[in-house]
Amino acid sequence: MSTSLEAPEELGRLQRWLQAVITHPDGVEAGSASEEAMRWVEAGPGNLERVVTASSELTAAQRLGIYGHAYYARLIECLGEVYPVLQAAVGEETFSGFAFGYLQTYPSRSYTLNVLGANFPLYLEKTRPQPEPAEAGSETDWPQFLVDLALLEWVIYEVFDGPGIEGTMPLSADQLLAIPSERWAHVRLRPAPCLRLLSSRFPVNAYYTAASRHPAGMEMAWGAPEASYTAITRRDYIVRRYTLTSEEHLLLSSLIAGAPIGQAVETLASSARIDEEALASRLNIWLRNWTAEGFFAGAFF
Amino acid sequence: MSQLRLGHPHLGLGLGLRSVHFNYILEHRPAVDWFEVISENFMDSQGRPRHVIRQIAERYPVVMHGVSLSIGSADPLDFDYLKRLKALADEIKPHWVSDHVCWTGVAGRNSHDLLPIPLTETSLKHVVQRIRLVQEFLERRLVLENPSSYVGFTGSTLDEWEFIARMAEEADCGLLLDVNNVYVSCRNHDQDPVNYIRSVPHRRVVQFHLAGHTNCRTHLVDTHDHPVANPVWELFRLAHQLTGGASTLLEWDAHIPPFVELHSELLKARNYMGNAFFVGKTEIPGELDEMELVESAIPHPLHHSGVEVQ
Repeated sequence: MSTSLEAPEELGRLQRWLQAVITHPDGVEAGSASEEAMRWVEAGPGNLERVVTASSELTAAQRLGIYGHAYYARLIECLGEVYPVLQAAVGEETFSGFAFGYLQTYPSRSYTLNVLGANFPLYLEKTRPQPEPAEAGSETDWPQFLVDLALLEWVIYEVFDGPGIEGTMPLSADQLLAIPSERWAHVRLRPAPCLRLLSSRFPVNAYYTAASRHPAGMEMAWGAPEASYTAITRRDYIVRRYTLTSEEHLLLSSLIAGAPIGQAVETLASSARIDEEALASRLNIWLRNWTAEGFFAGAFF
Repeated sequence: MSQLRLGHPHLGLGLGLRSVHFNYILEHRPAVDWFEVISENFMDSQGRPRHVIRQIAERYPVVMHGVSLSIGSADPLDFDYLKRLKALADEIKPHWVSDHVCWTGVAGRNSHDLLPIPLTETSLKHVVQRIRLVQEFLERRLVLENPSSYVGFTGSTLDEWEFIARMAEEADCGLLLDVNNVYVSCRNHDQDPVNYIRSVPHRRVVQFHLAGHTNCRTHLVDTHDHPVANPVWELFRLAHQLTGGASTLLEWDAHIPPFVELHSELLKARNYMGNAFFVGKTEIPGELDEMELVESAIPHPLHHSGVEVQ
């Protein structure tokens, strides 16, 4: 089957022109005067009716403006659905400002809106005002709070509709304990495909929980910086969040990276300086908790 | 409801499936004839949306309705998209697959809007060739919808109904006649919606869409956030008479009411499917008396499935 078709040049020019006009951040008149639009059709603000008809009620510019207004409004609304807690934290106007800038840097290039917000945390990180040295990691380092919160919301969004463990039997504590003790150090754990770990400089997971219980429209304090660790996964099609200690995060990170249990434990023991007995006791509890929550799809040697 | 339209059954009165109603539908199994699902909301899903659509497709007839085919774009067809679309169709077995007579972006970008095509012989030929390719790839006849539009092009040489009629005949595809879009576009382009409805090839109409719009004084916007306006119901009466009836679907995409309320709005369609004859007025009165006027509005948002978090 032949799948290559040459598009009519005239159609391509008109479409590129229209796209440049209606997606211009300063409106359709500025868009029509832009270099990009003029490259395809030479119809500046005074000549729009050479290309687009007026109606009995609206000029060509006003009619184009309906698409221009809708382009940003609709996509900002979509981003607000992906980042509802961030939107509530900064307020709609500020959020729209961030999203407006983001859409100019990362316009959609996909058939699906599901990936529209994928680069939003990165955009916030790259465009954040740099803190004064004294402010870094302090309460006044509010841009870091927003970046951390955006990352958490993106991970939640991805996990919700990504691959999961529904319909499968995740690794149970009994299965894990059935492995002969002499082989334990060599066991590797296969993480559930929906398991993600986050390390944040602000306690954004606790903020997210509080925000979901907070009456809409009421301001919430962003809180002081404090290193926090979160595991995000999905069971029964619902996204679950678990606050981790730094030790749990370190151990889980090693296990997810593919280290055998023995090596992961050694890494933890050397960096966290926990004595062997305490670590063994905690390890037992952690593995029981994690398997109960379906963190692992299986174990292998 | 047994007559076939281009080989497709008349499914009766259906609703656009929206994620806010997932739980209600699964728990109550309401007596709706069929559901239309937005293809892009499910085709990549590996989570709850896909899980839900599998269950709904087991219990109800479904139809897939897409927003990203971009059949009129000057960009090449996206065969990765088509592959995923086909995979979803193979899985949930819709009665048909539909999209819009529009383009959504060019040069690799996607506006996620349904943008109007210049109505020329050249673009007609382009669209027809692409429909044929898509139909060959999907191994099924495509059903295409007339979109709402807010601009027309000075270079257009065909009326929209003429473009759509010739497109459907030459590409041998079906039509999804969106009665609200006919009304919105005709009002925006100072054209006669009755003439439009009379002029499309009725035997190719596989499905009707009904929806609400917003009156912005100087133009109408297809917002899908209101009940169906009276003039649109009257146009539906005419379309029903001229076609002999086709599967009819109500869309509602913003400020979505509870399911029972939505369903009762759909069932109003029965009042316009009887023998009462359309009086043939080209000016359909009544709208300005009943509708709230607003300054501006956004054409219907392309929604996401809601995330469920604990």
